[in-house]
Amino acid sequence: MNGVLSFIVASPLTPLEHAARHVLNWLHFSVGLPWAWSIVALTVIVRMLLVPLTVKQIHSMQNLQRYAPQMKEIQKKYKQDKQKQNEELMKFYKDNQINPAASCLPMLVQLPVFIALYYSLRAFAKEPVSQHPGSLSFLHFIPSIADHTTSHWGGFVLLVIYVGSQMASTLFMATTVDKMQRYLFMFMPVVFVFVIARFPAGLVLYWVTTNLWTVGQGLITRRLVPKTAVPAVEKKSSRTPRSDDGDGGGNGAKRAPEPPKPQPTAVSAAPRKVRRKKKAGGRR
Amino acid sequence: MYRLGVAAIWVWRGTFGALFPTTCKYEPSCSHYAVDALRAKGLVRGSVLAGWRLLRCNPWSHGGFDPAPPRLGR
Repeated sequence: MNGVLSFIVASPLTPLEHAARHVLNWLHFSVGLPWAWSIVALTVIVRMLLVPLTVKQIHSMQNLQRYAPQMKEIQKKYKQDKQKQNEELMKFYKDNQINPAASCLPMLVQLPVFIALYYSLRAFAKEPVSQHPGSLSFLHFIPSIADHTTSHWGGFVLLVIYVGSQMASTLFMATTVDKMQRYLFMFMPVVFVFVIARFPAGLVLYWVTTNLWTVGQGLITRRLVPKTAVPAVEKKSSRTPRSDDGDGGGNGAKRAPEPPKPQPTAVSAAPRKVRRKKKAGGRR
Repeated sequence: MYRLGVAAIWVWRGTFGALFPTTCKYEPSCSHYAVDALRAKGLVRGSVLAGWRLLRCNPWSHGGFDPAPPRLGR
């Protein structure tokens, strides 16, 4: 059963898994990094390869914020019917050539790396320690990255860092998820930590590295993408007070109390220009 | 037999899906689509459909409303 499941999930990803394992070996044997740092380096390389996708995401987020007023309008119109609301939003994306930030494929690219690491670390655990003298330790607080995370006190420290970094990365990644779901995702690592505790410490090291990268990326992204969705709500509320009341129950509730910034007028004027451009483009 | 695939998706949702929380650009989401496709078309064709959907769910596509093909009368 387990074999069949792993075949279904892993077989299309096998070439990527082999590539990840080769890079890991290259980092250790050719570059000369200890195994733990090879895992960190491999994770960083994978995340660097995904950077073009991140840049793409930043652009699409900027694009998305330009259409914030119209999207807010759709959300309000179909407030009762969540599915219809989603359908209409998707239709709006398609009509206006908006590319929503999130997509599933980049997420899947990281899976083979995880599998490659899992198999490599399992192989290390089976081999005698003499084959990897001292090179399996990490920063003096984890004696062997191939052992179960909870087999040494250092592993518990790593697990605490994992939970913290996972929560922080969720905070940065889940920008479009609704509030309730966001809280759920935030506390997921607390539950998942009991499962991950049985994994080799090297895998937890991978998670921590990739999470810290996500947090760093999120910090940079937030600087590059100004929060322009707020002003649109503010401006509307000044025009039509009733619609603001309607907003209070939804996701915009948290955004409303933020003070208006000088950017709003400039930004909220932008959609009109864009709309005209789009219409002109559609006629062609 | 398709239940095997559905079980795999539940395993995914509980593990990796939970670790990479993102929202799909399609409606229904990829994992939801996969479950629907497996139920409607069985393990092999459902898996192919779900795989194709995953490939389409990339940063260059535009997403949108894309339900799984309906179940044919059995």
